[in-house]
Amino acid sequence: MSDLELLKRLCTADGISGDESRVRAIIEDEIRPYADEMYTDAMGNLIVFRKGRERAKTKLMISAHMDEVGFIVTDITSEGMLKFAPVGGINDSAVFAGQVLVGKNKISGIVCSKPLHLLSADEKKKCPKMDSLSIDIGVCSKEEALKYVRPGDSIVFDSFYDDSEGRIISKAIDDRFGCLVMIEMIRSELPYDMYFTFCVQEEVGLRGSACAAYTVAPDSAIVIEATTAADVPFSEGEKRVCLAGGGAVVSFMDRSTIYDKEYYDMAMRLARENNIPAQTKTMIAGGNDAGAIHRSRGGVRTIAVSVPCRYLHGSAALIRISDAEAVSEIVRILASEIAGNDKTY
Amino acid sequence: MDTKKILEILCAEKGISGRENEMSDIVKQLLGDFCKIRTLTTGTVIAEMCSNESSYHIMLDAHIDRIGLTVTYIDENGFLCVEPVGGIDLRSLPGKAVTVGNGIMGVICTMPPHLDKDDSGLDRSKIRVDTGLPTERVRELVKTGDSVILKSKFRELLNDRIAVSALDNRAGCAVLVKCAEMLRENQPPCRVSFVFSSQEETNESGAKTAAFILQPDEAVVVDVGFAKQDGVPSDKSGAVGCGGIISIAPVLSKNITDRLISIAENRNINCDFEVDGGGTGTNADGIAVTAGGIPCGVISVPEKNMHTQTECVSVGDIEACAVILSDYVMGEGIRNV
Repeated sequence: MSDLELLKRLCTADGISGDESRVRAIIEDEIRPYADEMYTDAMGNLIVFRKGRERAKTKLMISAHMDEVGFIVTDITSEGMLKFAPVGGINDSAVFAGQVLVGKNKISGIVCSKPLHLLSADEKKKCPKMDSLSIDIGVCSKEEALKYVRPGDSIVFDSFYDDSEGRIISKAIDDRFGCLVMIEMIRSELPYDMYFTFCVQEEVGLRGSACAAYTVAPDSAIVIEATTAADVPFSEGEKRVCLAGGGAVVSFMDRSTIYDKEYYDMAMRLARENNIPAQTKTMIAGGNDAGAIHRSRGGVRTIAVSVPCRYLHGSAALIRISDAEAVSEIVRILASEIAGNDKTY
Repeated sequence: MDTKKILEILCAEKGISGRENEMSDIVKQLLGDFCKIRTLTTGTVIAEMCSNESSYHIMLDAHIDRIGLTVTYIDENGFLCVEPVGGIDLRSLPGKAVTVGNGIMGVICTMPPHLDKDDSGLDRSKIRVDTGLPTERVRELVKTGDSVILKSKFRELLNDRIAVSALDNRAGCAVLVKCAEMLRENQPPCRVSFVFSSQEETNESGAKTAAFILQPDEAVVVDVGFAKQDGVPSDKSGAVGCGGIISIAPVLSKNITDRLISIAENRNINCDFEVDGGGTGTNADGIAVTAGGIPCGVISVPEKNMHTQTECVSVGDIEACAVILSDYVMGEGIRNV
């Protein structure tokens, strides 16, 4: 993984679930000269075929999702304040006092609540629930608001980006990071033919990947993701799940998938043999597109490799660049090993 | 200078309570061309405009400190233990970006959902900051006592509203700067001291000590007030865009308050009022009883999301407050009442 400038463009592009077109446009531009086949399906998934030096013995699909978590405008009050709902899993605590951009015209807004000074002692200590919050865009009436925004408009975090000092702080690292790894693979010479799917709607129920896997009909799949690293203060032992700085995360099981055991062992062995730092998750937590892909059609042998990411679904998620590089390296080696060998047990 | 530009300069990521000296260059940049600037031992910065004809002395005060956090300890994993400086809204912190010390970005730690089963609420003793750097590097770059500032972008909302952190009370400071610019053109008939006072958010000490040193004949304090919104009592708030909130309270000078109200009326500025039964919760409470007593008034800029990283005010309100204050000074305050 080397193109940090592109990662910045991907992460700062806006694309909540169901509204991924701007992210897809960036990816199309980046891979157009390299892709042997490329098309967008009925869902909005971008499906790419890249020829390798040799024909694959196992038909391999590598997958990452383009969508990010965010919000959607649900209603506008008579005072012109926007009510909203989360799109994807966002904690109530991450929302209040945030800066956001609303709709296609990127109208600036802030998430408002009653001021601190007028709260009871109890209220001061609780993060407000999302349904009690509203977004102020600076207007005073519903009529005025409707000139700029309307119910159904997408809302994204208006967040900072920093990639200094060997780490990245940004929104949407989940899963623009995975998109970058695939873009860089497509731009390079591959040993075997491979399919790449840039999927939509992961955050609202693994929906895009289910259809992409049906269309591609692979024998095997590698999912590239960002996964929760809970190595934060007041979290100990196995509850940390995985560690930022601990290398690529290869999962054997999560809430959506029991991963292919042979692939899991293979990934760990390849990491060891190639001196690439790798770790596994120490809790059965989370889930990703593998949950839809592995049970597509008659079943797909599936493995996921993820970058450990703190504050995953917030406006300021954090990863170490060394972990991102480890994921990129393992995925390349693993893809070659899977595609170059016969699929049967 | 354009009011938005003034605000953007004033809302720099510096100057939490106790570190106001970081703001003195900014005050010099804005007012140094036509005011005499000095910095007091407390960090308070004073810009003075003198008149040849009169020794009558009006103090205009706006606190220049901003709320924030300070690093108290670096733990073995490189996480920063921090303590609030001023009454920060803890609800606004989880997962948000901050600037630590000399410009290092960090994130306020949060528990991921699978571990976030604790319903006991936000605990100020458990706030940690994550820079994402290895412990050794953190120790090189960060020292205990360093400031931690809530990050936000300087954003314009619709209708000339600005959302950014530190508007409490850099919005008030902008009122003073605008007022000074107006007075510069009109030559005030009395002596005026623009006091950018320190440590309002911690113990209101900057304004009180400055008032003692200046011993003005009277003082008007400019701060931010609560904006009208759902759940905010109407007698304690003003609508964003109304032009400003004039305080009415027993601790304030009735003459000053009446004068401010009549100027607003003459100017057709539709100010709202905040009526308090005792103190005002601003620097005026302390200034009023400094030395042998100083008559005080308060005018405020309505603000949303007070003490968070997305405070929000109207540019029009800042300009309206500046007009009122400028007229007030040109009429020599309550000198002739």
